[in-house]
Amino acid sequence: MAENIVIRTQGLSKAYKGVQALKSLDLEVPGNSIFGFLGPNGAGKTTTIKLLLGLVHPTSGSAEVFGHDIVGDTIDVRRRIGYLPQEPRYYEHMTARETLRFTARFFYEGPSAALEQRVEETLERVGLADKADRPIKGFSGGERQRLGIGQAQVNDPDLLILDEPAASLDPMGRRDVLAIMERLRERSTVFYSTHILDDVQRVSDTVAILNRGELIAKAPIEELLAGSDGIVYSIEVKGEGSEAEKRVADQPWVSEVRVTPDTDRSEWLVSVSDAAAAESELLRLLLADERITVTAFGRKTYDLEDVFMNLVEEDGDDDR
Amino acid sequence: MTTASLQLVATADRGPLAGFGNMADKEYGSWWRTRRALVHLVLWLVVINGFILLIGLDEAGGNPFSALEELIQIFLRVGGLFATIGIIVSTQSSLLGERQQGTAEWVLSKPVTRKAFVLSKLLVNGLSFTALAVLIPTTLFFLQTLLHTYLQPSFVPFMKGLALHVEQLVFYLALTLAAGAFLGSRGAVSGLAIGVIFVGLILPGFFPSLMTWTPFGLPGYSGLVAAGQPLPILAWQPILITGLWTVLFVLVALWRFEREEL
Repeated sequence: MAENIVIRTQGLSKAYKGVQALKSLDLEVPGNSIFGFLGPNGAGKTTTIKLLLGLVHPTSGSAEVFGHDIVGDTIDVRRRIGYLPQEPRYYEHMTARETLRFTARFFYEGPSAALEQRVEETLERVGLADKADRPIKGFSGGERQRLGIGQAQVNDPDLLILDEPAASLDPMGRRDVLAIMERLRERSTVFYSTHILDDVQRVSDTVAILNRGELIAKAPIEELLAGSDGIVYSIEVKGEGSEAEKRVADQPWVSEVRVTPDTDRSEWLVSVSDAAAAESELLRLLLADERITVTAFGRKTYDLEDVFMNLVEEDGDDDR
Repeated sequence: MTTASLQLVATADRGPLAGFGNMADKEYGSWWRTRRALVHLVLWLVVINGFILLIGLDEAGGNPFSALEELIQIFLRVGGLFATIGIIVSTQSSLLGERQQGTAEWVLSKPVTRKAFVLSKLLVNGLSFTALAVLIPTTLFFLQTLLHTYLQPSFVPFMKGLALHVEQLVFYLALTLAAGAFLGSRGAVSGLAIGVIFVGLILPGFFPSLMTWTPFGLPGYSGLVAAGQPLPILAWQPILITGLWTVLFVLVALWRFEREEL
């Protein structure tokens, strides 16, 4: 196999009472990646996750997780997954320890001492060791989420699926969740949906954006953040820059120069076709002209929020 | 990797009942590792054996044989009616509650089949309720009859009568589970199942043939058998048909729950 693909969907679709929640999703999730699954509310993220877990049944199309069909081999699929639901609900009469023990027993058999040790390690890992024997009904939202993360990794899953894992966590909890995801990347794949774009930008390798049941973008995070305009340098210049502008525009590796004048300065956007040439020569060209002062220089990057909003809005415009 | 990780072995069960043991243990725990079992025990001792106590005191001084027969009839008919309503009320949210609260979604994201999920509820709820609302009150009932009448029911016939009572309970448990797989409110689930009980109390007077095709005649038959009296020739029909209805309801619950979108 050329590439280790953990999740592969082909034309995966789901309709609820005539409403198309997911439209022909074709997706490939590479192994050992942190795959961010983004989209506005109702985009179909949770539906996709539930389809992968066999909790809902596809209307059409198919999907495989670790090569197992999500409909026919759902037990084999779930055996290798850890899942944190969007709003995790547990048996309220159980304690955190009992919940993790109950979860672990679906995956393992063996000496109870070994099982208890696994449970204890998981409690420590998610910071619930001191609350291990308290009934869950007294837990705060953050504690429930920690327990959710614990139960999702008690089986050392090959694939961790997290649906809005940081939604109800405080900043410390969010940091811990991201740390767990980073740690798991070494031996697992993390597929998670979220609205918190900062987190996605920090930890994800690849991002897919879903809107109204359709995949509108999927790319490595660097590619997505670079935008669709190619390599663009953003430069701020003071002084008379018309000659410098001409000199830059004449370079064979420059494809476009856009100058936006301001009161005492101008903003230049220089699109280039050769990143290496631009990196070594562009700033030198500008500094050689004594009539201008370069006050800012850098490769233009986009915020994930900008990319997300642009893509979702463009997708909305296309449909109108 | 820790020592514990080395000792643990991944479960290999991929059959239609994968995860059943763990689910059954969870269901068992919801009865016996909480106060639920104690509450039920006290409730049924008060309701069933308390009722027998009142009737027994009222019967004191009369013919002990007729008093014993009356106590048997009351135990199985009145106590049976309370227990039947009890099994419906106590299991109405067994499946429905898990669907609505989201615990079913969480559990079924683990390697457990939906069949195991439903059947563990049927088995453990059935056994636990039978232990608490039938077997323990029956043991006390034997002591009560001895105290009230200096007699005890004949063991084997009484157990046969009790078996018919349990058959009826399991029928209503299966009906409640099936209703819980289809309906969206606890009121509807218990309303349907309790409604069937009251239909059974009223309609056979107008339509006697209903007794053949339903469990409605079972309380009467269980009383007859327990008292050592012979059953009507055609009594095997409702006994058999009630069993078939029970199996049908379980299959319907399984069929519906397999299709449940969680």
